[in-house]
Amino acid sequence: MNKAFEKIALIEGIIAAAFVADGGKLLGWCANSVISPDNLAYIAETCRAVLSASRAEQRAAQTGVVAFGNKTLIFRESEPGLFMAYLDSPVDDGVVTWLFGQVTPLLAEEGVKLD
Amino acid sequence: MLRQVLILSSQREYAQTMRNGLLKLDAKMLVNVETDGVRAMQLATQQYDLILLDAALDMMDGLQLLQFIKNQSPATKFVVVSESSEEGARAVAYQNGADFFIERPRTPESYDVALQALQGLFKTGTITGPLPKDVGTPPVSLIDILQMHCLSGDSILLMVKGSQQSGDIFIFRGEVFHAQYPGRGGENAFREMVRWDNGRVRIKTIKLTQAPPRTIDVPYRQLLGAADKPEDMTPQVEQQGGDLFVVASETTPTTASLAVINEAPPRDQPAPPPSRIFFPDPELSPRGNTALPQMNSHWRVTLTGELLEGSQVAEPDRCAFITTFIYRKMADVAVALEVDYFNELTLLGPHLQQVLVADNLGVRHGVFDAPWTNETMRAQYVKWCCEQSL
Repeated sequence: MNKAFEKIALIEGIIAAAFVADGGKLLGWCANSVISPDNLAYIAETCRAVLSASRAEQRAAQTGVVAFGNKTLIFRESEPGLFMAYLDSPVDDGVVTWLFGQVTPLLAEEGVKLD
Repeated sequence: MLRQVLILSSQREYAQTMRNGLLKLDAKMLVNVETDGVRAMQLATQQYDLILLDAALDMMDGLQLLQFIKNQSPATKFVVVSESSEEGARAVAYQNGADFFIERPRTPESYDVALQALQGLFKTGTITGPLPKDVGTPPVSLIDILQMHCLSGDSILLMVKGSQQSGDIFIFRGEVFHAQYPGRGGENAFREMVRWDNGRVRIKTIKLTQAPPRTIDVPYRQLLGAADKPEDMTPQVEQQGGDLFVVASETTPTTASLAVINEAPPRDQPAPPPSRIFFPDPELSPRGNTALPQMNSHWRVTLTGELLEGSQVAEPDRCAFITTFIYRKMADVAVALEVDYFNELTLLGPHLQQVLVADNLGVRHGVFDAPWTNETMRAQYVKWCCEQSL
């Protein structure tokens, strides 16, 4: 998983990214800032709680895009776990699609299927 | 053990120095800083072992905030930080529920002393040790606490103390796995425990790292919904001295969130057909030039969870609850990322898309049918929200 995240860290705009397994274990991460892995795991678990609550309300969602001013947190839940990326710019649907187009094959090389 | 700390202070320099000091004690510790008292009210403060709180915050009395947060976070320890060590300020802090009081450190030496004192506070072992006879926290609604942890997907052990007895409830990944107290275990124990002292008990929380043995298979919504219903609404008949007296059954008090639980269908059963309602706020007339796009439903809540208006809203209480829940979770994320709170959140699913638009006054929540929705329509909704003012 480290190799994938070494490459993910090089994707334009990425401040931090992480993949957290279903049990809450941080399987891979990278950060181009002072965000700690513990914080990343905590954020991922919080995003998972939001998706879980939405699912319980019969409004299932797999992907979340959160705008914090000019920064954006994107997360996607799949069977093996939750991937999230923190970007230093606002995004539109095209950027989200582009990001997962970059990330999905890198994680697939490590045996993680995001879709 | 000190694992998660929140520093709630308007003094950024002090907060940063204290944060660095705490991280020197334990680099694995999660230390968050919040400078805004109003935003702190939205945080899930139960997660923190320790909250360092200024006695006076910008725009808010820290001691009043302490009372508010303490009711939500009975297991958290609160340390009030004051500009003065004057005895009156100390007494007021303790009266408002502080566990400890310190004067704001200003020199490296005084920071060291303060940090040692905080460490000492947690070496007494009240978190990991056995439940003390008097836990010193006010009683809380057990059902509310259970629902919050289940909805958050937490894995925790709740040590529950009623006036007569104490027991344990194990929650793993948001489901109630096991309950026990002397002489009883499993679902029966759970049903009894939620009725102890009319549901108002003292609680300590411990995080679980491994799955506990499972004796309860019922989904938590069903379990909590059933637990809230009185066992028998039939008046009890007691015989006293040859005469019969009819005694009304005691009913458990119902809170707003309990009402939400009762409405909630179990997760594994289809939801009943929703009764759509429309209730625009008559005080508000549409503003701006942007038309509301075609959407499934939308509503607006205040940051305290009050539903103000909406359209095509099925189960208003539940809608308000979930919006507030998501807002609070995202507030936690913002604090962890050390950024301002979110402006927009989009949740994309196979059948529905949701957009939440927030500011410091409230949140608007819109639901779209995924097949008929595109990015332009979501952007139009965001623009409409901004024109209406939150």
